[in-house]
Amino acid sequence: MSNEHTPLGSIRISPRAIATIAYHAALQSYGVVGLTSKNIVEGLANVLVKDPTHGVDVTYDGQNISIDIYVIIEYGTRIKSVASSVRNTIHYNVEKALGMPVEQVNVHVQGLRISDPD
Amino acid sequence: MSSESQKTVSDPSTLSMRKYPIDGYAFKPLIEAALNWLRTNQQSVNALNVFPVPDGDTGTNMVLTMQAAYDEIANLSERNVGKLAHAVAHGALMGARGNSGVILSQLWRGFARALDNQEILDGPGLVNAFHQGRNTAYKGVVRPVEGTILTVAKDVAAAADIALLGSADPYDILEKIVPAADISVQRTPELLSVLREAGVVDAGGKGLYFLLEGMLRYVHGLPLDTALATIQPLASMKLQDTMESIEPGQDYEVVIDFRPDQALDLVHFYEDLEKMGTSIQVGEGDGIYRMHIHVPADKLYDPINYTKALGTVTKAAIENLVAQMEDLERERNSKLKLTPVEPGQIATVAVAPGPGIARVFASLGVTAIVEGGQTMNPSTQEILHSFENLPTDQIFILPNNKNIILAAQAAAQLTVKKVTVIPSCTVPQGMSAMMRCVPDGDPHDIKAEMIDALSDVESGEITIATRTVEIDGVSVQEGQFIALLNGKLVQSRDTLKEATLGFLEKVHVKKFELITLFYGAEISRREVDVIADAIRKIYPEQELEVQDGGQPHYYFILAIE
Repeated sequence: MSNEHTPLGSIRISPRAIATIAYHAALQSYGVVGLTSKNIVEGLANVLVKDPTHGVDVTYDGQNISIDIYVIIEYGTRIKSVASSVRNTIHYNVEKALGMPVEQVNVHVQGLRISDPD
Repeated sequence: MSSESQKTVSDPSTLSMRKYPIDGYAFKPLIEAALNWLRTNQQSVNALNVFPVPDGDTGTNMVLTMQAAYDEIANLSERNVGKLAHAVAHGALMGARGNSGVILSQLWRGFARALDNQEILDGPGLVNAFHQGRNTAYKGVVRPVEGTILTVAKDVAAAADIALLGSADPYDILEKIVPAADISVQRTPELLSVLREAGVVDAGGKGLYFLLEGMLRYVHGLPLDTALATIQPLASMKLQDTMESIEPGQDYEVVIDFRPDQALDLVHFYEDLEKMGTSIQVGEGDGIYRMHIHVPADKLYDPINYTKALGTVTKAAIENLVAQMEDLERERNSKLKLTPVEPGQIATVAVAPGPGIARVFASLGVTAIVEGGQTMNPSTQEILHSFENLPTDQIFILPNNKNIILAAQAAAQLTVKKVTVIPSCTVPQGMSAMMRCVPDGDPHDIKAEMIDALSDVESGEITIATRTVEIDGVSVQEGQFIALLNGKLVQSRDTLKEATLGFLEKVHVKKFELITLFYGAEISRREVDVIADAIRKIYPEQELEVQDGGQPHYYFILAIE
């Protein structure tokens, strides 16, 4: 999808590959305890397959890459800080791995996990 | 050795501020001390960032988080230590900034929970609180990265366990965990490769260390407002940090390795050094000390004489910082300053065979530079790339070489933009044309102006013949110097000087006013000066300007106007 043409041939990077990078970056971010589906239908489908890109949407319109990520955050952390550091981490990791600019990383906080209710 | 690497200069046992029991009143100043000490050392934590990872200013983020935590209790008079800790945790949560701030707030959250309903903080309670802090912090991440503040929190909790076996006094435990935190921080590069590659320890871990050390310093009655000079392991001394600016009195950097005859009295040692200069750092390893200091020019040799009196100097290095700064400045200035273009304006792309020539074109206002010239013609693609993303449709290309005009014309065919190739065959022609370029002008008129300007200048090129040949009635031996006038061979000579002077004679330079000489990458400035002097002697009427063109193959490119 994301591609580059040279006289020697072209390079194509699928959104799935990008999603995998984002997925791993998100799970390494502090405060993120899981990723989740965007909606119920997708959620049902994801029960059946364990997908390494679950909870990540990558769109490429021919020019810009944007990433949407659906996360569960640990209850009791400052959600704004966690979310912005998730965004930065994904932005940095994907750009580093891809060598292409990432236009947008949208972090959707879909839920909180409560380990300690205080 | 790393365990002692943060030995402070003063003797820790001089004054003790141990207060029993540790209730809310006694705990509050400890938290304030932690904050103050971290703030004092904020910049050194910031400096540990592995650029350009996210979470930019770890030190600042942690200070702001701690500040928010302390603000919550600043005006609170709370006797119950558990309630006080909860207030701190709440403040940290609300003010958490950045990754490290969030983790710090989680540490506080766990710490506070362990102290629920506790009136006072005792040894086992403190150990438990460190455990809970660690547990809560680890819960916040699915795949914990080791070699970070989390690892330091974990090691601190483990050290607290061991310390409790020796003494149940919370202050004794604090004494034990601060060095343990230091060891843990020093170990972070072993666990995390990005740190190892950058040659730093983890910033968040270091920040946590400063918080704990701040508490201990308070207990010892040590000042918290000045970042005290510390002794560090030799290997971790970073002396090559480039400075952005130097202050007066920092003319020279002196680094001395020495072996003192007697144990060093650090307090006096630092005091004495402070009289000589600034930016003092001292490192130690295997009995050898290394000191680093910035001194003004008149005290240049003082540090050496001083250390000579203390023991054996094994090595001394002096660097002139002023000169270094000037070099830096020069390098910075050498970066090309291209002129940005606005939609609708004319963007100019120049092909330049050397960095010096590129700089001249940049100063004339070109929008993009393509590297290339004789024997290194840029491809159509490269030319295309140079202007494809410019925000305007009007593109003028100056190929500056006969062999590149075709490639430029091919590039013009491959784009939707309106590309005009100004057929400049030489660098001087390109420059002459560029001087007539007005970005806001009517492209049609400007094109005519620029093409007209091509003939304003006589171009000369001096190079070496690569084969024996006879062209245009001039016979050339391989290895001779040849002169080309506007691309045509006019002369061959045995030396560069003869070829240059001969060329000037051939163009009747006396009829012109200005000679600009761009010298190539393969000739030294001194050789150039000799020839330039000769030219000035023979043609005193003409003005000669010498520029570093940096072009390959061509010893000289000359523009005669």
